[in-house]
Amino acid sequence: MEGLFFNVNNGYIEGIVRGYRNGLLTGQNYSNLTQCETIDDLKLQLGPAYGDFLASLPPNPSTSTLAAKATDKLISEFRYIQANAVGSLAKFMEYLTYGYMIDNVALLITGTLHERDTRELLERCHPLGWFETMPVLCVATNIEELYNSVLIETPLAAYFKGSLSHQDLDELNIEIIRNTLYKNYLEDFYQFVNSDPDMAGTPTAEVMTEILEFEADRRAINITLNSFGTELSKGSRKKLYPSFGRLYPEGSLMLSRADDIEGVRLAVEGVSDYKTYFDAAGMGQSSTGAGNMSGGAGNEGKGLEDMFYQKEMEISKSAFTQQFTYAIVYAWVKLREQEIRNITWIAECIAQNQKDRIGNYISVF
Amino acid sequence: MSGAGNREAVFPTRQSLGLMKAKLKGAQTGHDLLKRKSEALTKRFREITRRIDEAKRKMGRVMQIAAFSLAEVTYAVGGNIGYQVQESAKSARFRIRTKQENVSGVFLPAFESYTTEGNSDFGLTGLGKGGQQVQRCRETYARAVETLVELASLQTAFVILDEVIKVVNRRVNAIEHVQNKKQRDTAAQDVEMKLRREAAEKAGDDKENETSGGDLLGDEEDADVIF
Repeated sequence: MEGLFFNVNNGYIEGIVRGYRNGLLTGQNYSNLTQCETIDDLKLQLGPAYGDFLASLPPNPSTSTLAAKATDKLISEFRYIQANAVGSLAKFMEYLTYGYMIDNVALLITGTLHERDTRELLERCHPLGWFETMPVLCVATNIEELYNSVLIETPLAAYFKGSLSHQDLDELNIEIIRNTLYKNYLEDFYQFVNSDPDMAGTPTAEVMTEILEFEADRRAINITLNSFGTELSKGSRKKLYPSFGRLYPEGSLMLSRADDIEGVRLAVEGVSDYKTYFDAAGMGQSSTGAGNMSGGAGNEGKGLEDMFYQKEMEISKSAFTQQFTYAIVYAWVKLREQEIRNITWIAECIAQNQKDRIGNYISVF
Repeated sequence: MSGAGNREAVFPTRQSLGLMKAKLKGAQTGHDLLKRKSEALTKRFREITRRIDEAKRKMGRVMQIAAFSLAEVTYAVGGNIGYQVQESAKSARFRIRTKQENVSGVFLPAFESYTTEGNSDFGLTGLGKGGQQVQRCRETYARAVETLVELASLQTAFVILDEVIKVVNRRVNAIEHVQNKKQRDTAAQDVEMKLRREAAEKAGDDKENETSGGDLLGDEEDADVIF
């Protein structure tokens, strides 16, 4: 039933996004890219997919400008879709941008705390996370003003409310603020896809629940792993775990008590997927080699973060098997972001002459 | 070999001969000492050159690994963390202190690196994702900076030593070729003069003064003296 009227408002967008998805680089494209000897070759190989955006690059561009141009393409496509979206899809796409907004706001808060010229900060912000009142953040000169008059006007105000006071902004580490916001955002997004009348009970809710639960679990595991050896206490760590996901609540509780990687492994044991990752990454047995691609240490195979990325891409790919769903927009953005990361990685490997690691990209098509 | 220019401005008297001999002896001792110093410095200099070569090669490798680990961070975090790291760094974790090393009277500054413990300003960077890469990248770059400090220390020593060696060598050469010769020549002339004077004394007392006066100014007789 839910598909009956879907095309009235969203059929065009779904078509466009599916078209974009077909434009993503395939395994064949990637293997061509890895054969390149120079960045110029790479640029040439990317021609069909990124032609217009890479055309203005000088010969042998740096990898960062290459990545910036590739991101430009994503942004212009996203803007086009956003401009055509109506109703709950428009709202859904707004939710998509909140994640980037959090990054931008964190950046601006850091800048304000250090009394930097916030105007130059605006240039560093992610364009997808741009919101109308963002330049106003530059007006605030101290943190209290920022909190009381500016942040309250942003779409993120709800995420600040109740969990962060203006003293917190001053005292807490910016990473903790960022992750608190992100937790609130994920919970809100989860709530949104499962309660909005247009989405509840549809494939959108189904797919998005899977994606968001995975994202929540991934964050919880990563935060736990990364907090070992830092001043982050177990109590405040626990506050950063989203209150949903496949690990919630037992796994989260165990994560919050974990002291080492072994503890994390025990905590995720209940979910077979994550358990497999931990076993495959060779974590738990030895405390070394956590994470992906340890620099020069010769970590064979893929690390945990690689596998998380891989899993994310697989979920995103399978989102396209459903019809009449908003989730494909989310999936497409994620796939495209991974593609940009892959391109940057390959370009970096070529530029730095580290060909032996060039195959470390993630391709699902 | 000799001449008026190669002679110290002294009268050829017995007393000044003694003085001259003492001076020559002093100069020779000084020359030997300086020569030894120069050799010690040169030895050190060669060693430093070799170590600079090694350090530079190591530098290349380490920097490459470091740059690549940054690429890994970019991949894992999926964005630029540079600004965040810059902002959250408050005090230096990696510091250097200088100490002086005495190599045959030359003070060479040496830089020594050390890390202050318990200082992790951006320990939480990449908490959500990529934190491990960030930490690993940081360690890699700390190693790179260590190499850089080592290289800087060696290069400073290199420049200073180079300068000092030049000065010492100049002095050694000066003593060897100019000062010593002058004194030697003066002493030699005086010895010769003494001998001649003794001969003249034997020949006759009245002629003595003329001969010695003529000898003092004449060049042609001195030319034969070779040491």
